[in-house]
Amino acid sequence: MADKIKLFVNGEEVEVEAGKNLIDAVGAVGIEIPHLCYHPALGADGNCRMCLVGIEDGRPPLVPACKTPAQEGMKVLLDAEHIKKIQHDVMEFELINHPIDCPVCDQAGECKLQDYYMSCDQKPSRMTVPQVTKNKKMDFGGGVIHDQERCVVCGRCVRFLRQITKTGELGIINRTDDARVNIFPGRPIDNRYGINVVDLCPVGAMTSSDFRFKQRVWFLKKASGVCHGCSKGCSITIDHNKEKNKDDIIYRFRPRFNGQVNGYFICDEGRLSYKSENENRLTAAFIGKVEREISDVLTAAKKELEMSKKAVFLISPDASLEQMVAVKALAAKLGATLSGYSDGYIKKGDGDDYLIQDDKAANRQGLLLLGIDTTKESFEKAVSEADLFVNFASDLSRSYEQDALTKLLTGKKTIVCATHESAFNGQATITIPVRSYSEYSGSVINCDNILQRFEKAVTKNNELLDICEVAAEFGCPLQTPAEAYAELQQVIGMLKEYQPATIPAEGLNLNDSEAANVTA
Amino acid sequence: MGAKVKTIERRGSTLTERIYLIEIFKGMARTLRHLVRNLRDNKKLLVRHYPEVQPEIPARWRGRHRLTKHDDGTVKCVACFMCQTNCPAECISITAKERLDDKAEKMPASFNINLLECIYCGYCVEACPLDAIRMDTGIFSVTDNNRQSFIIGLEELLTTPGAYSEEDYKKGGA
Amino acid sequence: MSLLDIFMIAIRVAFSAFVPLCFIAVCVWMERRGAGFFQDRSGPNRAAIFGFRAAGLVQNAADGIKLFFKEDLISDHIKHKFFFVLAPIIVFFCAVMSFAVVPFADTLVLGGNSYVMQGIPMDVGILWFLAIAGFSVYGIILAGWSSTNKYGILGGLRSAAQVISYEIPMGLSLVSLLIVYGTVNLSEMAQFQGQLLFGFIPMWGAVLQPLGLIIFVIAAFAECNRTPFDLAEGESEIVAGFHVEYSAMKFAVFFMGEYVAMFASSAIIITLFFGGYQIPFLNTQALIHLAKPVAFLLMIGLPVVMYYFAGWIRRSNVSHYERENDPRVFEANVYIKCFWGLIAIIELLLLAILLMQSGGAATHIFVALLQICTFLVKVTMMIFVYIWVRWTLPRFRYDQLQKLGWQMLLPLALLNIFITSAVVVALG
Repeated sequence: MADKIKLFVNGEEVEVEAGKNLIDAVGAVGIEIPHLCYHPALGADGNCRMCLVGIEDGRPPLVPACKTPAQEGMKVLLDAEHIKKIQHDVMEFELINHPIDCPVCDQAGECKLQDYYMSCDQKPSRMTVPQVTKNKKMDFGGGVIHDQERCVVCGRCVRFLRQITKTGELGIINRTDDARVNIFPGRPIDNRYGINVVDLCPVGAMTSSDFRFKQRVWFLKKASGVCHGCSKGCSITIDHNKEKNKDDIIYRFRPRFNGQVNGYFICDEGRLSYKSENENRLTAAFIGKVEREISDVLTAAKKELEMSKKAVFLISPDASLEQMVAVKALAAKLGATLSGYSDGYIKKGDGDDYLIQDDKAANRQGLLLLGIDTTKESFEKAVSEADLFVNFASDLSRSYEQDALTKLLTGKKTIVCATHESAFNGQATITIPVRSYSEYSGSVINCDNILQRFEKAVTKNNELLDICEVAAEFGCPLQTPAEAYAELQQVIGMLKEYQPATIPAEGLNLNDSEAANVTA
Repeated sequence: MGAKVKTIERRGSTLTERIYLIEIFKGMARTLRHLVRNLRDNKKLLVRHYPEVQPEIPARWRGRHRLTKHDDGTVKCVACFMCQTNCPAECISITAKERLDDKAEKMPASFNINLLECIYCGYCVEACPLDAIRMDTGIFSVTDNNRQSFIIGLEELLTTPGAYSEEDYKKGGA
Repeated sequence: MSLLDIFMIAIRVAFSAFVPLCFIAVCVWMERRGAGFFQDRSGPNRAAIFGFRAAGLVQNAADGIKLFFKEDLISDHIKHKFFFVLAPIIVFFCAVMSFAVVPFADTLVLGGNSYVMQGIPMDVGILWFLAIAGFSVYGIILAGWSSTNKYGILGGLRSAAQVISYEIPMGLSLVSLLIVYGTVNLSEMAQFQGQLLFGFIPMWGAVLQPLGLIIFVIAAFAECNRTPFDLAEGESEIVAGFHVEYSAMKFAVFFMGEYVAMFASSAIIITLFFGGYQIPFLNTQALIHLAKPVAFLLMIGLPVVMYYFAGWIRRSNVSHYERENDPRVFEANVYIKCFWGLIAIIELLLLAILLMQSGGAATHIFVALLQICTFLVKVTMMIFVYIWVRWTLPRFRYDQLQKLGWQMLLPLALLNIFITSAVVVALG
């Protein structure tokens, strides 16, 4: 850990980390210094002047906190009258041309300007001249829509595209109250991380064309999740809401800060992957093509399992560790072969050097850790020898063409636990709908061997079974999530110190202690 | 405190009042007077012969809702969800869409009020930043045969006219 | 037993069984319209058959039909379905039975035989009423208990405690009355009240026992579960009390039982304190002697009364708002014609009395009819008092109710017994 230094804020001594600027250092101990343009990932810019703080006995007496490193014995003034006056004046200045259209602004409710107006200003405008009007709706491309009037010209978006994605589509043109953010003519935002500017924007100037006008943010319920879009497993916040008389629906994913995994950002693909959680979901259980009660279907499936001489289980590489452990235990009990074959999840060459990975499976490291075989040869061999094939939510259509799949499975009974509708479901003897990752809690291990825990976000009106529950129905020795977790603790030594609730938000880096285990 | 305090004399301590029967007879005489008066001339009954005689609804009455329009007939509502947020009965459900006629950014794609859930508190009117929703239709009796028809939509809200002149409505303190 | 005997038995039993039932409609109508007029509103007057509202009586028919055809619901949580169904029957049956001992006319003498005008001619008289009326509370307790409902059981318990508290003052006030009358037989009591005190005051119980009257009336109100003593229902705190789980006809039977009980207890109050069937100053003997003059007076009096009544109908039965060809004016004319027709028939009958020989059977029957009418008029007036009190007084709080019963009425009733006994002994 970094060195600690002591300094004074409003006369009270606090201990903060050394080597950080004042906003971060003091913010880490829960004292917020208002700021608009500064962002920890983008560094200090110092253009908004909102973070001006007083330094007692300092030269100069007034400094921007974002540019000032925390130093031993510093006496920071935050609540002095003159500092409040400065904050108030800056706010008034920012609001000169800001259209007060909070009711129609999508940012309302999570808007820095709104918050600071309430905490620092709370005065009516003194302006008597008409406001400068600018372009209210500009499509910047890449799913970003810009409102120049609301912009406070903090430059976060510009810096993000220059520093992080290094594409630099945006720039600030003109000066003074004519200054506005714009794209270069004919060159819209075109990179795979572009929508992050919407999160970065402290006001409602940048809105996502996808989320725009869908929901007011104060209606949204927040749950911390892990993106299952690729093996990076970025930390996300799942914003969902159950409107009256409707079903619980996810409205957006937002990046959740995780220094070990994704930092402050996520890719656009992952951000929009929430749609697949809402759409095309399998909700009814089938025997053949006839829709039946889930209890009947489970009974039929159990009968099939009892009758089969040799069964093959296929587990999805997206499944959580708990699910894998449960299915593994079930397979061991029934004497079935368990495979994790999922080559189709890997899209060669799709990844980049930042967040996006080739492997689109969220928990392949988990498969490896649990020693589940993933090779194509052994999978096909096992299938050809078996008379029953049970698929636990693995999307085989990624690995096989429809014909090849039909050929592979001819003459075999198939039980499919699926999250989504697919052509393969129709061929199955028995189809059981199961929950997708926003509807259960669990843990996954990403490509960097970091184990993350995610919580259950969505509760559908018609609650489906979790794969763990299906396995338990089939006679898995691990009947409850607690038992599955205990089993997991046996496999992953590092987990012994943690309970599901106490796993840190940034995850556990298994590289530190489990490296030997993983390769085995 | 500017409230006027009126001290009411406490009754019931004198002997005649404590005997109670005398006071009962007094009370019964009073009600009998009403009965006799009404029997002699039943025009004196304080009754409005609804529905033949309709009540006069004052402008401040919170009746069924309506959505107001701009002078050119376009919807004033910008789908800001303030009414939905403020509604204690959660009877309003709005979906927003992009507005393309430059009046505002947003407009309601659907605007449903479930009149069976509505408690007619008027908070939606209060919350509206644009005076787009009002309860000045003077409609006080909402009846129908099935539940579904109590959920009124954008079309019905927009086509229902206000029952009062702008002047009278403003006089009501709106 | 002659045919006439059997006929007279049938008549008197039918009278005491069906008149209370018929009066349910009258009571309900009086209650609702009366409540309206007491409170400056009109009460139910809209239900009509072919435009004829009968001053709101049609509403009773409508409600009756509605209750009759409603689903007879017994909730699943009710375990003791037999008792649940039995309860309203007990209440109703007791109410009807308690009226059976009340004489509604003096003993009718036809062809040398005497016929008692009483449903069940019994010497126990008032004791029968006390016993049966006290029994009806079992119905309420049973209803409350078998409903398996908090409110129901609370209502039942309240009712039980209330009846115990008020039966005592009721019985004690009767004791002093019995000392005065020297009998428990209601017929004899009624005959006793035909006398005159000091030669010019009717010797009614109310005159001889004013304190007894007040105590008895209050206790009778409590026994009937009428306001201000209707804590068993107490809709403001225990929803509907004992009948909260009852619906359709079972509820209707409770409802009717309440009104029959009100009728019966009015009849008892009349018989005990207001001379029963006696017309003031004209006891049965006097009436038989003066049958012709009375008939003649009635022949003159009835059309006069009817004339003013017709005028009142014409004034009242109009629409109270602008209406072309007001159908209610036509309605009023029909009513007036019907009433005049009725008067004409009565006039003819009275004429027949005048033309017949005096002292014969016709005279006796005429006197009996006159007494029955007097009795019913008195009972109706007492029912009106019930309704009047109900729409004037608020309900007691429960502790006030018990306090009134034990700390006021009981000592007063005892005091009354001492005074009465002293006076009776002193007067010899």
